[in-house]
Amino acid sequence: MKIFNLPEKENMRPGHLACQGCGAALAMRYTLKALGEKTIVTIPACCWSVIDGPFPYSSLKVPLFHCAFETAAASAAGIRAGLDIKGLEDINVLAWAGDGGTFDIGIQALSGAAERNENIIYVCYDNEAYMNTGIQRSSATPYGAWTTTTPVKHYKNRPKKDIVAIMAAHRIPYVATASVGYPDDLIRKVEKAKNIKGTKFIHIYAPCPTGWKCKPDDTIKISRLAVETAVFPLYEIENGYKYILNIKPEVKKPVTEYLKMQGRFRHLTEKEIEMIQKEVDFQWKRLLEKCNQN
Amino acid sequence: MKKVITGNHAVSYGALLSRVEVIAAYPITPQTQVVELLSEFCAEGKLKAKFVKVESEHSAMATCIGASAAGARAFTATSAQGLALMHELLHWAAGGRLPIVLANINRAMAPGWSIWTDQNDSLSQRDTGWMQIYCESNQEVLDSVIQGYKIAEQVYIPLMLVLDAFVLSHTSEIVDIPSQEQVDRYLPPFKPKYKLDVNDPHAFGGLLGPDHYMEIRYLLQKDMERAMEITKKADIEFKEIFGRSYGVIEAYKCEDAEIIMVTSGTVTSTARTVIDKLRERDKRVGLLKIRMFRPFPSKDIKNVLLKAKKVLVVDRNISYGLGGIFFEEIKSVLYYEDKHIPIFGFITGLGGRDVTPNILEEMIEYVETHDKPEEPILWKGVKL
Amino acid sequence: MPISLSDTLHNKTGTWRTFRPIHKNKLPPCNKKCPTGENIQKYIYLLLNKKYEEAYREIKKDNPIPSITGRVCPHPCESKCNRGEFDEPIAIHHIERFLGDYGLELKDNWEIEEKKEKIAIIGSGPAGLACAYHLRKKGYKIKIFEAENEIGGMLRIGIPDYRLPKDILDKEIKKLQEMGIEIETGVRINHPLDLAGNYDAIFVGTGAHISRKMGIPGEELDGVISGLEFLKKLNLGEKVKIGKKVAVIGGGNTAIDAARCALRLGAEVKILYRRSRNEMPAIESEVEEAEKEGIKIEFLTTPVKIIGKNQKVSTLECIRMELGEPDESGRRRPIPIKGSEFTLDFDTVILAIGEKVDLKLFENIETTSWGVKTDQYTRTTHEKVFAGGDCVTGPSTVVEALGAGKRASIAIDCFLKGEPLPVIKDKKPVTIENINLDYFERKKRKEPEKIEFNRRVNSFDEIWLRFDEKDLLEEAERCFSCGVCNRCDNCWVFCPDLSIIRNEEYSVNYDYCKGCGICARECPRYVITMEEER
Repeated sequence: MKIFNLPEKENMRPGHLACQGCGAALAMRYTLKALGEKTIVTIPACCWSVIDGPFPYSSLKVPLFHCAFETAAASAAGIRAGLDIKGLEDINVLAWAGDGGTFDIGIQALSGAAERNENIIYVCYDNEAYMNTGIQRSSATPYGAWTTTTPVKHYKNRPKKDIVAIMAAHRIPYVATASVGYPDDLIRKVEKAKNIKGTKFIHIYAPCPTGWKCKPDDTIKISRLAVETAVFPLYEIENGYKYILNIKPEVKKPVTEYLKMQGRFRHLTEKEIEMIQKEVDFQWKRLLEKCNQN
Repeated sequence: MKKVITGNHAVSYGALLSRVEVIAAYPITPQTQVVELLSEFCAEGKLKAKFVKVESEHSAMATCIGASAAGARAFTATSAQGLALMHELLHWAAGGRLPIVLANINRAMAPGWSIWTDQNDSLSQRDTGWMQIYCESNQEVLDSVIQGYKIAEQVYIPLMLVLDAFVLSHTSEIVDIPSQEQVDRYLPPFKPKYKLDVNDPHAFGGLLGPDHYMEIRYLLQKDMERAMEITKKADIEFKEIFGRSYGVIEAYKCEDAEIIMVTSGTVTSTARTVIDKLRERDKRVGLLKIRMFRPFPSKDIKNVLLKAKKVLVVDRNISYGLGGIFFEEIKSVLYYEDKHIPIFGFITGLGGRDVTPNILEEMIEYVETHDKPEEPILWKGVKL
Repeated sequence: MPISLSDTLHNKTGTWRTFRPIHKNKLPPCNKKCPTGENIQKYIYLLLNKKYEEAYREIKKDNPIPSITGRVCPHPCESKCNRGEFDEPIAIHHIERFLGDYGLELKDNWEIEEKKEKIAIIGSGPAGLACAYHLRKKGYKIKIFEAENEIGGMLRIGIPDYRLPKDILDKEIKKLQEMGIEIETGVRINHPLDLAGNYDAIFVGTGAHISRKMGIPGEELDGVISGLEFLKKLNLGEKVKIGKKVAVIGGGNTAIDAARCALRLGAEVKILYRRSRNEMPAIESEVEEAEKEGIKIEFLTTPVKIIGKNQKVSTLECIRMELGEPDESGRRRPIPIKGSEFTLDFDTVILAIGEKVDLKLFENIETTSWGVKTDQYTRTTHEKVFAGGDCVTGPSTVVEALGAGKRASIAIDCFLKGEPLPVIKDKKPVTIENINLDYFERKKRKEPEKIEFNRRVNSFDEIWLRFDEKDLLEEAERCFSCGVCNRCDNCWVFCPDLSIIRNEEYSVNYDYCKGCGICARECPRYVITMEEER
């Protein structure tokens, strides 16, 4: 009585170094299931540069190139060019970066690659801070969150950067959000991306129990709540303009249900939560408008 | 086929004939013509390469790294600020043992803005693990691109060839452009031992603990040492096919020289005329051109310099707080020798200021009239 | 270049674990609530996989007559179904009937290893049949003695055709006889120990057949009949004469069955019950059906006198009641309201206020005020005599009787082998709080169709049709499968450490499992438990 129908083949092995309940580990597992073994991955500095395992070991069954922090997109473009010139156009090139490597330090190379419409799949697995270095804020850290560089007394007071809108503005063929809580949706999107030529950007929500101060077994529950509260809606944008909403919660749950599961939001007052709710409602309304305008 | 071309175009022709497969570059004066001509080669189909027109030098090198890791022959060209921006990735390419060839047009570092030549940009990359070759002529530039791949791909170490801004980059000279057939004979296709291959998957460059890091770096140094002999061999082979060779150094009229002037880059050509002129006056002076800076040809240099009574080094660069970089390297090469040779370190020509024959002559005069330098750095031409 | 030369399988991350997930099936509330211990979750699972025959065989392990319980059981399983707290309980009852009917068409190929011991069973009602069935499976030689001329006890005489068609009953009995169970009808055994000489053990399942009297004036009048008598005649095909206006006294299943039968014979029927709806012992759905069919129920009303004309019933004098303190049954005691007497005109009065056990049968065996005294294993005070069903409990349900018969079979088997009885453990069933409701959407319960209303009230044709197969599967899909793995794969899907092994059953690769607990949390049905590492 399956609930999710995942491809059987694993292109990853256990023994990797992810923390307990790591969303990023799941994200990779699903993505490689969708892409298959004819895939080359490049990973900049991020949790995954450790997760994969220390030299001389690797947990992936596909080739992996560790690249510099800000170069995921450029490295992928290079690998793509190297393969294409050898006639290996059927091999998927996957750039696999965290939110820091995407939203912050890597955005230039990403923008460049997207503008050139490089034939790569760029996945940002988003755990909303620099987790590998010990939970420092990134521009993907949501408003109100504690991190080690945004202490409770001075929590992050700017909203999360809208990376999806930025990527859509490049008018690349495919941009999508996905979540480890919705593996079938995630896999469908990666498979879809695989069959599109050009730059594909998939923004995967990947909870980090260590950094979010939640229980390791909360990963999936929180992922679901993120969608059900519209904190992290699941949608696609084709060719930069065509918005498709994938999951519309029947009743949008209050954000407090989402926030209260995570220690990083524990300090928030009711008033602050109300502000966050208003912002989420506003962004949700905007998203719905965009999705309906087509 | 002989053609009158600029140094920049010599780079482009070198890349064309080397059948580079991936080019990733970002425009910067005075390198732009390199990539402009390569763009045309690609557009015309003369060169079957993927030219990735990246948004920065940083991405240019990252892209070359990716391409090289995927098994393609990768090429880029840059200058000054662009090279500095690449810095992190120069380490990455060398540490990744990826035989990329990069042409750097020597240009002074800002601020203030300068587009004119000096060597501080490339010499600042001394410790990145790249090989460096300093060229004197446009012919040497073209030939060095081809030789560059020949060397780099044998030792899996990237190679940077360096030419002076404007003096070479924008100056036209007669260049003998070899035939593709000749080059193909000399330079086989790139077939790396390991590459990103879905049929033989490996992770490249994973977390390296203290238990392994040193060994990996030791092996890089060992290959750097090996590169010296491989370079010489490549040069000999080159001569067999193309009739030209350059050596890792060139000793010009040094056999009986009492004073040897050490130069690199285009200053060498100027120095040649000065040496010739002084020889006509029966002065026993010679010239040592250093072509290969990394690996540093210590033995070859020693063999030449130990015959001299005095040595003077012309540096178009400076390591702030110490002195001229070639000067310092040469001093250290001679340190263990019993024979003590006074060495004079001149710094001149920074930021593209002309290094005229007069300046070089004045330097020799100074050396002739002094037993040892009065200052650790002998500045030549400072107007303060 | 540092390149990988091997994989991470050497890195046994299982050492990080402080809690370990364990796949361990738990007890679903439906299974727990079923008196005969049907593995309901399992047969629904098999059904969903379209393994109808296996599903039937699964029920048959615990229940000898599923096509009958699928019709007449008040399905206590459904009352505890966790789905009931979410939207509506699973239609287990109808599923059971579907599978029971499916099984009627199949041949049961028993491979029985014969034993030499002989067991006598008195009464061919559900308790006796169940005891016979389970013991026969174990290889014992069985003989059932039935006092009536037909087999089935209350199944035959007490349940109207519109609920249980006789051909269904006959087919189930035939299946049991095919196992080698011998049944002799028309033999009344006066005392179980009369059989002690020829049999190694005796099971008594004689039921409760004595109709209680009201003890009011007029009970002897023409037109007054006991409910059970009325049903029995009707069920055995005898002629029963009733009038146009029928009163049925009582609130139990006999009352409802009698009322609905009278209705089908063309009468206008009213039920008089001395307490309120809440206290009615009859199956709730049967009461509702009766009302839908046009039967009126006067609650808090009881007759005090039956008035006749020419020795024939004509009028009932009744009194209104109110509810006082709860009595020993736990129900609130009805107290007559003085001066509230009134009369109603009827030409037939069916008395269905309950049945008693005929205790004459149990001389020298200890009894209680309502039946034979047994322990929970059905053992009476005589070591060779076991008893179960209505004769122990007083009037109860078919499934209770089946349960008693099954327990008796275990007790008798142990007795004959000289083995100790199994310990009956009271396991805690899975509750709705254990279910991960994120994985379920609210969905209406599906049921089969009923026959058309007019036909229903004018004939004894069976009311419920069989489940449409598509609806059946949709309904089965609603099952939470509480506490029992149904291979939903979620543990495997959500394991970040690729540590779920999917063989015949799921297990955990403890070499790598870091103990994050996602599998346990995301198991929709509480199969996985996290246990502290020692």
